[in-house]
Amino acid sequence: MKLYQVRKGQFVYYNNELHRVYGVKPMYKQSVHIIRLRDLTQQLTKSASVEKVKPKELDSFIFNHKAYTLSRDRKAEVGDYVLIHNPMPDSLDTYSLNEIDLVETVDKQGVVTSNSHGIKHNEYLLMVPGRANGSTSIDYQNSEGVDAENLQDADSNDLHNQNNEHFPAIGDIYKNDEGYESMVVALKRGTVYLGGGLELSQEELRNSAKWEFLYNLLDK
Amino acid sequence: MDRKKLNENIVFILSLLLTLIFIVWGVFFTDNLAKVTDTIYNGSIDYLGWVYLGATLFFVIFSIYLLFSRYGDIRLGKKTDKPDFNTASWLAMLFGAGMGIGIVYWSVAEPVTHYTTPPYGKGYTIDAANTAMKYTFFHWGLDPWAIYTVIGLALAFFQYNKKLPAAISSAFHPVLGERIYGPIGKTIDILSIFATVFGIATSLGLGAMQVTAGMHAIFGVPNELFVQLIVIAVATVLFIISINTGLEKGIQFLSNAAMILSFAIMLLILIVGPTMTIIKVFFNTTGLYISDFIHMSLRLRPFGEGEWIASWTLFYWAWWIAWAPFVGMFIARVSKGRTVREFVIGVLIVPTLGTCLWMSIFGGSALEIVQNTGNHDLAKYITENVSLAIFTFFDYLPLSSVLSILGFAVVAIYYITVADTATFVLGMLSEGGTLNPSNKIKMTWGVIQSALAAVLLLAGGLNVLQTASIAAALPFALIMIVMCFSLLKGLKSEIGEKPREPRGRF
Repeated sequence: MKLYQVRKGQFVYYNNELHRVYGVKPMYKQSVHIIRLRDLTQQLTKSASVEKVKPKELDSFIFNHKAYTLSRDRKAEVGDYVLIHNPMPDSLDTYSLNEIDLVETVDKQGVVTSNSHGIKHNEYLLMVPGRANGSTSIDYQNSEGVDAENLQDADSNDLHNQNNEHFPAIGDIYKNDEGYESMVVALKRGTVYLGGGLELSQEELRNSAKWEFLYNLLDK
Repeated sequence: MDRKKLNENIVFILSLLLTLIFIVWGVFFTDNLAKVTDTIYNGSIDYLGWVYLGATLFFVIFSIYLLFSRYGDIRLGKKTDKPDFNTASWLAMLFGAGMGIGIVYWSVAEPVTHYTTPPYGKGYTIDAANTAMKYTFFHWGLDPWAIYTVIGLALAFFQYNKKLPAAISSAFHPVLGERIYGPIGKTIDILSIFATVFGIATSLGLGAMQVTAGMHAIFGVPNELFVQLIVIAVATVLFIISINTGLEKGIQFLSNAAMILSFAIMLLILIVGPTMTIIKVFFNTTGLYISDFIHMSLRLRPFGEGEWIASWTLFYWAWWIAWAPFVGMFIARVSKGRTVREFVIGVLIVPTLGTCLWMSIFGGSALEIVQNTGNHDLAKYITENVSLAIFTFFDYLPLSSVLSILGFAVVAIYYITVADTATFVLGMLSEGGTLNPSNKIKMTWGVIQSALAAVLLLAGGLNVLQTASIAAALPFALIMIVMCFSLLKGLKSEIGEKPREPRGRF
C-alpha cells in the first residue's frame, strides 16, 4: 500500500490485527501511526506493512476489550458508541473518519458526542455491544494460526471497561458529593485507600451518586 | 405550523423577520434607509461613543485579570481533555479567524488614510505617520482580541464545562438559571444573531468590494457596483453548493490555504519591501501604543468634532462586537482542552502581536513609500479608492503581479470561508445552540447574509455598512458586559468557593 493512499482514520490490518490509523507523518521513516482497536495499544509502522479495510454494517470487532457489531437498525441513544464511517464535518467540526465516540445527547438532526462533536444520523454506524447473529468478525485478516484465546471475545472476568465502568487504580482522583477530592493511594483486594485516611470498598467508590472519578494523576 | 414547532423555531423566525424587514426597507426605501442610518451615525457620535469605549476598555482589563487570576488553571472541558490541535495550528487558526477579509482590506488603507487625515495634528508629516501607525495598532490590537477573549471563553466554558448548548444565552446561566431557555434567553440569542448578521454582511460587503477591485487590477474588469453584486451572487451559489454536497472538508482546506498564503505575502513583503523601516516601525509603534493606550482608549472630543472617532474607533469597536458571536463560536470550537491561562495568552496576546506585525509590514511599507520616498501620489490613490488600496500599493513593490494575484486569492478564499462558516454559526445560534444545524436553516442564512450585504452596498456602500454595524452591535455590547460577570460567577463555582488563606501571623 502506497503512502499517499493511507489516510488518517482508516481501519487497517497490521500484523494480521485490526488497527485504526490515528496519524500520518509523511516525513518520518515510521510514517503511519496506528492504534490497535482490541486493547488501544499504539504502534508506528510503514505504509507498506498495512492493508486497508472498510468497516460496514454487520461487521463486528473488539474495541477496548469489548465486542461490538456495526448496525443501522436504530438511531443512537445516549450512552451508545458510534463509529463515524461517513464523516461530513461542518466547517467548525474537528472529527475525522472512523472516530469512535460516546453519544451524550440526541437531537432531531443527529447526536452530540462526549467530545462535543455534532454528528448527523447518516454519518455514523451504531456500535451494538456483542456479536450479532450473522455478523462478520473483522478482528483478524486471517484467522488461521491465531491463538484460540485471542479469538475468544473479552473474557467476562476481564475487569477492564465492562459496561464502561471505571475501576479504581492508584493515582485516580475522586470527588465525593460534598466536593471533597482525594487520591487513591493503595488498593488491597476489594478495599480502596484514599488520601486523608479514607477506606472504602470498590463498590462504594463506584457508586456514581456519591463518588465521581475525575482523572488519573498519570494522565495529566 | 403547530404551536410546539413555532416555539422551537421562534429564535430563527424572529431574527429572520427582523433581518428581512431591514432588507425590504433597503430595497424599496433605499434613500430612507441611508437617511436613517445617517441619523443613527450622527447620534452614535454624541450619545453612544462612551458606551463602546468604556465597554471595550473594560474587556481588555477583564481579560488581563483572568490571565493572572486563580482561574487560570481551569481547563476548558474535562480535566483529562487534551487540545484538539497543536499550539502552532491553533494560533494560526485564531489569527485567521479574527481578522479575515478586514485585515487585507485595511492594512494599507488605514495607516495611509490616517497619515493624510490624522485624528489630530497636520497630515503628510512624520508625526502624522507615527500617529497613523499607533492608531492602526490600537484598532487592531488588544481591544478586538479582548472582545473575542471574553466571548470565546464564555462560550467554551459553558459549553464544555457546564455542558450547556452552544448558544450565547448559555453564557448567562449563572445569572438567569433555567430562564436561559425562556423568553429572556431567546431575546439574547435573537440580538446576537442580529449583530452577527450585520457583522458578517459588513465583512462580505467589504469583501465583495475588494474582490471586484482585485479583478479590476488584475483582469481589467470594471470596478462597479454591478460587478460587486455579481461577486456576491456567485459566492452565494458556491457556498450553498458546499453546504449541500458535504464539501465542508474542502472549505477547511481552503481556510488553511488562505492562512498559508497570508503568511507567504507577509514574508514576501518583509523581504522585498523596506525591511529595516518595517522593523523600526514595529518597535517604535509598539512603544507608542503601550504608552498612549489609556488615552486612546478613552479619547472622546467633548469640545470639538468627534467625527474621526466615530468613523474609525467607534466603527471598529462596533464591528468587532458585531463579529464577536461568530468569532467567539469559532474560537470556542477550536480551544477545547486548553486552560483559561493558555486561552487568554493564545487569544489575546499572540494574535495581537501577529496583527501588529502584519500592520507594520503593510502599513510601514506603504508609509515608507509615501513619506520617505515622497510618493504622495500613492496616498492620493489609496484615499480615493480604499478597496483598491492594497493592489495600488503592490504596484509600487517588486514582484507586484505575484503579490496582486496572491492578495486576490487570499481575499477570495477568505470571502468564501467566512460566508460558509457564518452560515454554520448562524444555524447553531438560531436552533438553540445545537451542534447539528439543519441544512435548510444554514442555506436560508446564507442567502439572507448575502442579500443584506448587497442591500447595504446598494444603499450607499461603505458608510452604510459601517453605520449599520454600529447600530446593530450596541445592544450586544451591553449583553457582553453582563456576560463578563456571568463568566466570573461560573468560574468561581468551578473552583468551589474556598475561603482565602488568612494573611500574616497569628
